[in-house]
Amino acid sequence: MDYLYTIVILVGLYVVLASSFNLVIGYGGLISIAHPIFYAIGAYGSAILARDYGVPIYAAMIIGALIAVAASVLVALPSLRVSGDYLLIASIGFQLGLLEVFKNVSWTGGAGGLTNIPAALIGNTGREGYVLLVVVVAVLSVLLVRAIAHGPYGRALSAMRDDEVAFAALGRNAVALKVGTFALGSGLAGFAGALYAHYFRFLAPEQFEILQSSVILTMVVVGGLRTTWGPVVGAVLLQALPQAITFMNLPPSLLGPLQGLLFTGLVLVFMAVRPQGLVGAGELWSGSKKEVRDGVRP
Amino acid sequence: MRKTLLSRGRRQLLAGMGAAVALALTAGASSAQETLRFGLAMPLSGGQALYGQDQVKAAEWAVAEINAKGGVNGKKLEMILLDTRADPQVGIQSANRLVSVEKVPVFITAWSAVVKAIAPIANDNKVVQLSVGANSADIAKLGDYTYTTFPLADVDIAAVANYSATKLGKKRAAVLYINNETGVVAAQIYRDVFTKAGGQVVAYEAYDPKASDWTGSLLKVRAANPDIIHIQGLVADTPQVIAQMRQLGLTQPVSSYSAVYNPKLIEQLGKAAEGVIATSLAPGVEDEKVKAYVERWRKEVGREPNGLPYTQYLYDAPYIIAAVFKSLEDKKLPLTGENFRQEMLAIKTFDLPLTGKLVINENHTVAKPVYLMEVKDGKWGQLAVVN
Amino acid sequence: MLSFDIVAQILWTSFATSSYFVLFALAFALVLKVNRVFNFAQAAMMIASFYAAYSVVALAEGPGWLGFLAALAASVGMALVIELAGFRMLRKRRAAQMFVFIFTLIVSELVAYLAMLIYGTWPSTIFPSLFWPVTLVGPIAISAWDIPAVAVMVACVAALFLFLRFAKVGQFMVAVADNPDLAELYGIAKERIYLATMIAAGVLVAIGMFLYGTRAQVQPTTSIDLMLFAIAATIIGGIGNLWGAAITAVVLGIVQNSSVLFIPSEWQGFLLYVFLFVAIVFLPNGIRLPRRRRMVRKTIIPGFETADAKEA
Repeated sequence: MDYLYTIVILVGLYVVLASSFNLVIGYGGLISIAHPIFYAIGAYGSAILARDYGVPIYAAMIIGALIAVAASVLVALPSLRVSGDYLLIASIGFQLGLLEVFKNVSWTGGAGGLTNIPAALIGNTGREGYVLLVVVVAVLSVLLVRAIAHGPYGRALSAMRDDEVAFAALGRNAVALKVGTFALGSGLAGFAGALYAHYFRFLAPEQFEILQSSVILTMVVVGGLRTTWGPVVGAVLLQALPQAITFMNLPPSLLGPLQGLLFTGLVLVFMAVRPQGLVGAGELWSGSKKEVRDGVRP
Repeated sequence: MRKTLLSRGRRQLLAGMGAAVALALTAGASSAQETLRFGLAMPLSGGQALYGQDQVKAAEWAVAEINAKGGVNGKKLEMILLDTRADPQVGIQSANRLVSVEKVPVFITAWSAVVKAIAPIANDNKVVQLSVGANSADIAKLGDYTYTTFPLADVDIAAVANYSATKLGKKRAAVLYINNETGVVAAQIYRDVFTKAGGQVVAYEAYDPKASDWTGSLLKVRAANPDIIHIQGLVADTPQVIAQMRQLGLTQPVSSYSAVYNPKLIEQLGKAAEGVIATSLAPGVEDEKVKAYVERWRKEVGREPNGLPYTQYLYDAPYIIAAVFKSLEDKKLPLTGENFRQEMLAIKTFDLPLTGKLVINENHTVAKPVYLMEVKDGKWGQLAVVN
Repeated sequence: MLSFDIVAQILWTSFATSSYFVLFALAFALVLKVNRVFNFAQAAMMIASFYAAYSVVALAEGPGWLGFLAALAASVGMALVIELAGFRMLRKRRAAQMFVFIFTLIVSELVAYLAMLIYGTWPSTIFPSLFWPVTLVGPIAISAWDIPAVAVMVACVAALFLFLRFAKVGQFMVAVADNPDLAELYGIAKERIYLATMIAAGVLVAIGMFLYGTRAQVQPTTSIDLMLFAIAATIIGGIGNLWGAAITAVVLGIVQNSSVLFIPSEWQGFLLYVFLFVAIVFLPNGIRLPRRRRMVRKTIIPGFETADAKEA
């Protein structure tokens, strides 16, 4: 049973990550792959506060998420004032740079990782309780992103993506909107990180490197950028499928690189053949001026 | 127009995959009754697979040997093999599978990050995790159900530091270490032990794991004028460090730990490898059984194993498990994790084919003699044994 | 600690080892300038060229020059594939920057996994031995690798400069970098120039990787790490400024190596990110080299003034 629980929890966490990443790069149109670092900040923040400073765990989780929000604003503000391209480089630099700090500083456990993180909830309600918590958070995140995307905020984002100059000419503050979206997405990722930390109770910097970025990216792209359920499908597929493959008894020397090849190849194939992803909606390719209508596939 | 979230075809596909996974799980759960089962979770793919696969092969040979000699009280040993990719996350999934689906009482793992990540699972489910090969000092503090059969970081580094200070008479040591967990901890241990043995650490420099040029650090070391240099790095960087060291005119002897103890070092450095001292935690080919083992590798696989000492420990691990299983069977106790742990601690001392005597302490550590190997005339040979 | 010997040695070795970084940075900066693409797929070209040379020299025991030719062929081949099957397709579909970026990242990973599958992950060098004989010039140890490396770097930089200034294709590249649509109006085949730029980058990458692989050990993931340095140099040197990128690569290399003398060695790797952060926040246009006034050789169509004409 634990085996299934772990899979469900991981899927749930990745649903949160993929949805929030979709918010940032899909709806917000912001080019960033540093999502995992905010996942890490939430995880480490919550874990250190709970373990070393005796902060009650639920409070620590929320504070961890807030620290992630603050960090994301710190990264986004200076870079977005210059241009969108700079956000990409700034975010990569921030991700790798902060990971270097995590590896060198002793109070994060250093390169060996943070152990003995206190567990949350399981004492009271057992593992089922935690699974339920993660599933609820995942569902809420998806609905939240959906509400944002389909509401006035989302329309503003869409307008900004279409034509930023016109957007600014109408008196809207594009930079504030972008930073806000980035912060929200990063905060969600941070909260997911806190949930991860208090279940698995071990964190290592190597889990948050660029490889993790491309896993989340793959989920969003294959699932479908700028769709509500695309990231969910992507998360389920990319977490459950590798586990299912391990039951197939393939020779192990083929397994690892082959899996990597499989998933990167999958992304390329999707980009070439079906760029709108599995759950595609509308013209996705360009930041063109065509309106995106739900359910219409080109 | 109502939005269709997932077309029918796609929903069917997802349902089918879900069913397949469920089916596979139930199929995997029911297993043969007459075998004594334990798990082995190793990196079979990914960056560390070149070590992991050789270690798995050694364990497989051991299981085959044990079964050929009649198994444990007539019952065969069955080893369930899963991939961890040396990644903590994948390791957790493999451990969960071994514990919840395969329901083994004990399993073997390696790689410090994986061992640490799995520890909570072992503790919560009362299944014994045998760490074989990982050497982080933290492993001794991971709870009741994680034990190591491989000496942790302090043992071999302390031995080489002590030997350099006392037997080789070195008074000034320089320490160059890779900036990751292994490097940092080991460097500290070297410094502490060397200083306590009467020497002085004159240079203490870290380097980035991704570095490809060590000129700055090496110049600092050179300026400090040591009489021995200890390098705590990985197989990827240590040969380069030694090469650049010699090129900058540092002629002092070099010591390192088991990571460099492989024939490739000599290939890459040629003459510059002469005199390099490495630690090994298992006897070398001077021992008859080890010699035969290495010969078997050469014959069957065409080369020597990657990380020879580690494969020796992996070869011996099934013997430990078999011994504990036998004891439990003899006493007619059920093969649960709890019983395994108690019995293992009760037996305490194991006589193992390729690594000699092993004493598993209650404080989750083991003590073993350290073999110091030296490159002489283009080949690795044993220099000394330190207890 | 700051004796002349030490400073001189660090300066020399850093300068010599910056040779390959300069080539990587130039390749990245060139593609960014002309094709306006962040070519993260350059890592794929680097992996291809290294393993081609490795296969020829270490595995098949061929001579060094043959290994170099193999590296060239592999790198240029990979560049062709990336440009024709990748960038060109993405351009045709008017893909958003997001997709181009995702494409380059995924291609790099794909090629890295391929290399892992075929060659394994054991670190390897092109020549079986890492050791280069050393001669002492005063207090400075100069290895037999250093001089050819520096010579090659200088030659490449000079060649690139002359190419862009005097060769027809090179001049077209500069034109396309300035304003692709206007260049097209003047009859320059944009697509062909994009291809030529990728090929030029491929050549630079092959040379750089051959230099690197004869001095240091390489694993499939090493190239992705090396790219970070090239990208940092390009950003700090100023996007669109080739020679800024080259000089920054040299300076960054020297600063990173000498930093060991001033800061605790564990933080050496972190320094790069600090520079990157400072550059993005305080120097968004990069370090500007003073630009000489150049005569405008473009014909200005009356009534059709472009931004470039105004700038000159």
